[in-house]
Amino acid sequence: MLFLAIKNLVEEKTRLLISVGGVAFSVLLIMSIQGLYQGWSNKIGEYIRTVPADYWITQTGATDMFHTPSVLPLTVRDFLTGVPGVATAKPFSGRRVAFAHNGRDINLYVIADDTENNVGAPARVVEGKAVPDKGEIIIDRVVGRSENIRIGDTIPVAGRELKVAGYSEGGYILSFSFAFATKEDAESILQLPGATNFFLVTVKENADASGVASRIEADPAVDAITKDRFVENNTNIVRDTFLPIILVLLLIGIAVGMTVIGLTIFTSTIEKAREYGVLKAIGVSNRQLYTVVVEQAVTAAVLGYLVGAALALAVSAAAGTYVPEFITEIRWLDAAWIFGVTFVMAVVSSLLPVRRLARIDPAEVFRA
Amino acid sequence: MNVVAVQDVSKTFGAGHTAVTAVDHVSLNVDAGDIVLIMGPSGSGKTTLLSMIGTLMSPTTGRILISGQDTSTLAPAQLSRLRLQEFGFVFQTFNLLSALTAEENVMMPLITAGVPRKEARAKARTALEQLQLGHRLRNLPRDLSGGEKQRVAIARSLANDPRLILADEPTANLDAKTGQDVTLLLCETACRENRAVIIVSHDQRLRTAAKRVITIEDGRLTAEEAGDHNLNCRMHPESVQS
Repeated sequence: MLFLAIKNLVEEKTRLLISVGGVAFSVLLIMSIQGLYQGWSNKIGEYIRTVPADYWITQTGATDMFHTPSVLPLTVRDFLTGVPGVATAKPFSGRRVAFAHNGRDINLYVIADDTENNVGAPARVVEGKAVPDKGEIIIDRVVGRSENIRIGDTIPVAGRELKVAGYSEGGYILSFSFAFATKEDAESILQLPGATNFFLVTVKENADASGVASRIEADPAVDAITKDRFVENNTNIVRDTFLPIILVLLLIGIAVGMTVIGLTIFTSTIEKAREYGVLKAIGVSNRQLYTVVVEQAVTAAVLGYLVGAALALAVSAAAGTYVPEFITEIRWLDAAWIFGVTFVMAVVSSLLPVRRLARIDPAEVFRA
Repeated sequence: MNVVAVQDVSKTFGAGHTAVTAVDHVSLNVDAGDIVLIMGPSGSGKTTLLSMIGTLMSPTTGRILISGQDTSTLAPAQLSRLRLQEFGFVFQTFNLLSALTAEENVMMPLITAGVPRKEARAKARTALEQLQLGHRLRNLPRDLSGGEKQRVAIARSLANDPRLILADEPTANLDAKTGQDVTLLLCETACRENRAVIIVSHDQRLRTAAKRVITIEDGRLTAEEAGDHNLNCRMHPESVQS
């Protein structure tokens, strides 16, 4: 009966367009939001993944770079290097700094680029200098574009005028981004005399990593967090902040899709009630007719999905070019579950037309 | 065995003092090869009777047997199956599916019955060619004339080789000549293949095709007479053998 479903859909091109458009909008919405969520989640962990450490050592209770402050005296380094199994222990300093520039608020997470210890360098420098000199700063290209800050411009960071020496990539995280200054400038900005925020510990090749972590945590002032766990803790910021919003938008998307398919298929069913009555009269079973209606909804939904997915990819690519903050990642897995949602949406939205279909009296076809 | 046996059937709509009896204790047998014309004024119960014979409506009292099977004992799905296998319907307003071509309209009952698509297409094509519609296979109903639409409807009604064809006012929406031609075509085709036909109509000219003419008034059968049955009913050899 698929051919009848397709013929019915194609017969009413405007209605088909509305159905497909509704589902496409819904899929575009869901896929773009999921893409943004995934993109931001990845982005927030991207820089941390490049930092060379087996363990991040934090002040006790601090779990990530953003939610909970961590300040450790530099003397902790001596303790760490003395722990059996620890290969290196290097200080890592950085925190959020807000300032105004050209009448706009800018948030940077300033990191000390410690060339001596080879810690705190940008993940990728795409333009300008790779290592800042005194009085210089490297900012993320996204911030440069969105805030119109060019290489060579000077920006006031925590009372210090720093010249933008280069653009890095992979450090833009929603409302702020990583920026890199010399160790001396960073210490001045971060106001951390004799202290740092974290230590990055690497474990000797044959050492038992978890044993090393336990020995470090014997000191009640510190926690040892594996790199993966630390990335996850930071990524969870995106999840905790945006997941409820995403869920609401997801529900709105599903509701829009279901309403559009449901209404268009329902009106089509009403308009074709007589024809369905004829089919019942000539011996088509209710089950076969229900299948026709569900196939109509699913066909419209699949077409809408394809259009919506194509639009989402196009919007994602185009928006990323013009709006740097629009960082999306559309994965096959997400495309698959959104397809599943679209399919279920179509089947559920067929229920109303199916109920209407069940009430059609085939004897009506004898009435002129 | 009768193709149709209507046994003391009544149909009442509503209840209490608003009850209306549309069909009142009607009994009627129709055999293979019968062409029965049911006539009567509007509101006499013709269409209600036809709907009950077609199992689209159930009687209030009495029973209807189709090929010996009591339809009151069948579940809705079984009734659908019975209609698909035993009945062909021709309607006053043609009732073709607007999204389907002439060929696809005729294919519908075949596909519903599980006939493979290719075979269904071939059968539909043959049926339409026999009704001189070979050049209209790919046309949608909106592109066909009234007479052509009714011929497509006839081809559809015959598609599953039904034993009984039920036609409701088949000439009503056609001009006089086309209406008569098309109905005679239906009757001749059915007659040649030994199918039973029940036609409900006001059209007196259809007497020429009918073997029996039954009059119904106020829900009751009031008269039965022989029709002219002036048709070429030379039967196909296969039908004779069966």
